[in-house]
Amino acid sequence: MLLIRLLTFLACLGASPAFAERAALSAALCAPSVAAKAEALRALAEAGALGGAAEAAWAQTLVVAVEARSFRCATGGAFIGEGDAALDAATLAPSPAPIDAAEMPINNRIRAAAASAAAALTLFTDVDPAARVEATTTLERRREALSLSILDAALAVETDASVLALLKPLRARMMLVDLAPENRIRAIEAIAADATLRNRTMISEALATEPDATVQAAGAAAMERIDRLIVIGKGLSTLYSGLSYASVLLLAALGLAIIFGLMGVINLAQGEFIMIGAYAAWFVQNAVRAVMPGLIDWYLIIALPMSFLAAALVGVVMEALVLRRLYDRPLMTLLATWAVSLLLINLVRVTIGTQNLEFHQPFYVVGGIHVVGDFIVTLNRLFAIAIAGLAFVGVVLVLRYTTFGLNMRAVAQNRAMAGAAGIDARRTDRMAIALGSGLAGLAGVALAPLYNVNPNMGTGFIVDSFMVVVLGGVGSLLGAVIASFGIGQINVIIEPLYGAVAAKVVVLLLVIAFIQRRPEGLFAPKGRR
Amino acid sequence: MGGGMLFRTIAISLAALTLALPILGGPLAGSGIGISPYLANIIGQIATFALLAIALDLIWGFAGVLSLGHGLFFAMGGYLIAMHMLKEGYVNAGVVPDLMTFMGWTELPGHWAFFESFPYTAALILILPGMLAFAYGWMSFRSRVSGVYFAIITQALTYVAMLLMFRNDTGFGGNNGMTGFVSLLGLQMGAPQTAVLLATASTGAALAAFLLCGQLVRSPFGRMLVAVRDDEARLRFLGYDTVWPKLAAWTLSGVIAAIAGALYVPQVGIINPRLLSPEVSIEIAVWVALGGRGTLSGAVIGAVVISALKFWLTGFAPDLWPFILSILVIVVVVGLPNGLSDLRLPGLRRMRDGR
Repeated sequence: MLLIRLLTFLACLGASPAFAERAALSAALCAPSVAAKAEALRALAEAGALGGAAEAAWAQTLVVAVEARSFRCATGGAFIGEGDAALDAATLAPSPAPIDAAEMPINNRIRAAAASAAAALTLFTDVDPAARVEATTTLERRREALSLSILDAALAVETDASVLALLKPLRARMMLVDLAPENRIRAIEAIAADATLRNRTMISEALATEPDATVQAAGAAAMERIDRLIVIGKGLSTLYSGLSYASVLLLAALGLAIIFGLMGVINLAQGEFIMIGAYAAWFVQNAVRAVMPGLIDWYLIIALPMSFLAAALVGVVMEALVLRRLYDRPLMTLLATWAVSLLLINLVRVTIGTQNLEFHQPFYVVGGIHVVGDFIVTLNRLFAIAIAGLAFVGVVLVLRYTTFGLNMRAVAQNRAMAGAAGIDARRTDRMAIALGSGLAGLAGVALAPLYNVNPNMGTGFIVDSFMVVVLGGVGSLLGAVIASFGIGQINVIIEPLYGAVAAKVVVLLLVIAFIQRRPEGLFAPKGRR
Repeated sequence: MGGGMLFRTIAISLAALTLALPILGGPLAGSGIGISPYLANIIGQIATFALLAIALDLIWGFAGVLSLGHGLFFAMGGYLIAMHMLKEGYVNAGVVPDLMTFMGWTELPGHWAFFESFPYTAALILILPGMLAFAYGWMSFRSRVSGVYFAIITQALTYVAMLLMFRNDTGFGGNNGMTGFVSLLGLQMGAPQTAVLLATASTGAALAAFLLCGQLVRSPFGRMLVAVRDDEARLRFLGYDTVWPKLAAWTLSGVIAAIAGALYVPQVGIINPRLLSPEVSIEIAVWVALGGRGTLSGAVIGAVVISALKFWLTGFAPDLWPFILSILVIVVVVGLPNGLSDLRLPGLRRMRDGR
């Protein structure tokens, strides 16, 4: 009975064309010399890599057996395991090992080759991308069983970005040590296509031991190209981080400018409205997680209107309880809004605590798009820029095309005349406060993925956003945009050179020098006060 | 205004305190009516706050220029006197300042030269803040920067100064600030007698500033200030130069604030950049607003009441203080435009009206 089953099994396997090849590959592992054994492991890895999933799984089993010292060599072929429990190495079918089966001898060189082969095969057999990433890092160190054809096969089937990001440079490095100079040049070209500082180091390291003059020349040219692109990339990423800082400043300053332009009220609690917005986003996140866990990735989008409303609500309450009575005493509004900010900070501190809030990072704010050099368009900053851009467009549209916007412009120009024309100035004030506070709330959402969210987060913004308002001129949207971009850029340009404090000092001195010439800001309406 | 009964009551109280402190805190310290060094220290600190509030009231209450950066001048005075005490202790007593130890310096940087001399330091305490106030005031008033613009920029100045002082390499002690003072003018720091003497000096300085500013605001110069506050445009139109009165009051205010800081720091025994945080400067404005602007008396009352309340409350309920302060500010600012003097307390009102 057993014999019949075994025979049919063997017959099936015999029909497979791979069988003979498998037998040869596994028999090669029993070659007498260490070099031949290492070469056999390399061939096994390559066969597994190029032969498809089943072949890779089989090769992996053999390599694991070699590593586990359960690989046996006998006159009748190779076996895995001992005695009656043994499997035939070529078929993996149960096949009692002959009496002369001996353990395959292993030394460090073979162990290294086996580890390399195992890692190479893992690229094809493991479904977990993390395991493949680990295998790739192993291959960086252990290239004994690695070949270009294995890497090309892996690159062809690999879909995970994090693994691909490691495999590509590995292939380039393999090529760099290729025997043919034209292959080395090709490798340098391939590496230089992605102009990062890391790749530049890789090329310069390879050139240090490069004997061929043409390769040297190609390498020098490639490095020059990389240097140029790195400089461009550095400039771009400075601009980019300035842009993202500016966009948050703009969100905070737009609200300030609207409120100040309309009512002459400086809202020292604007930074705390940012904080309220961020906390509202956190509550939205928790609510989404509890009620509709499937939508958790979209909580930041859901939070946009909620945070706007939350901050606007606090602003309206502040207007109703405090500001309404202070419109003729603008200096007192400074103290009153400062008191409101102190109250808000401490209310949050007592009710929620002082620790930084944990935010889920949805896929659209994680990672970035690599552009040039070391410049990466990080998505969390892009998110903030997008929110600022949309909010700005929204504000422009509201001001220009809605009745409320018309009323606001009228009241800002001449309160008494607007009142005479039948505009309810107080109501316009309230709505402007709601709009201005709501914009700060949006800034809170924009900051949630890239900033520490805690009760004190707003205090750092207040001075900078006031500089924007002062520089931008009261109630001028364009002025606020230009001023926030200017301040954002100055901050990021000076910061790496002289530190964050120097950046703040320079901005402040510029503002003081600036208001000497134009006390009413960049874009003040013409006329003498 | 200013010459009413309330003004006299406060002047007399300050004078009485100045005279009584050395006796009650000295020979009578242990007796039933005596003052402990601890209490004398608190009285002294509060007196420096009153001095600071007088400085702000001069410029805000009378000239209508709100500064949210008086902490800058206060801290300047404090840092200068702290540098004197550390340098003096280093040169004469061989006490190595902490900031040299953790910066690994074998000698103090160049800007510490001559600080072992008290006259030099005292001159700097008057000159440096005065120069800073003058320079900033001249630039601002000349280009007619006023109102909330001016206030916000003073706050930004203070904020930037705080960031600078937080740096260790500027040679001012970084975020640890300066502490470990040995002596001042031969007085041993920490000795009971020193606390009493410093407190006496503080109440004396508050009294002097109170009387001086009281005279000043009653003089034609003071009228000019009030006129600037009430309608600067009209004054300019009538041919007056409004820059100089404002500038004079602003500079004097800065110098008084620096003196207050120089008296304050030896009493608390430490200075660090927290003194430059926007909150501290805003709190000064809160004292004046709560007490009532433009009376000088109000500034003193505001500073004394609020800081005494703060001392008392932070002792047992530090978490409660921000709530009380913020709600107090909102209530007073909204409900009592002239601060506590709006309260219809019969006695207070009679005193204020001088009846």
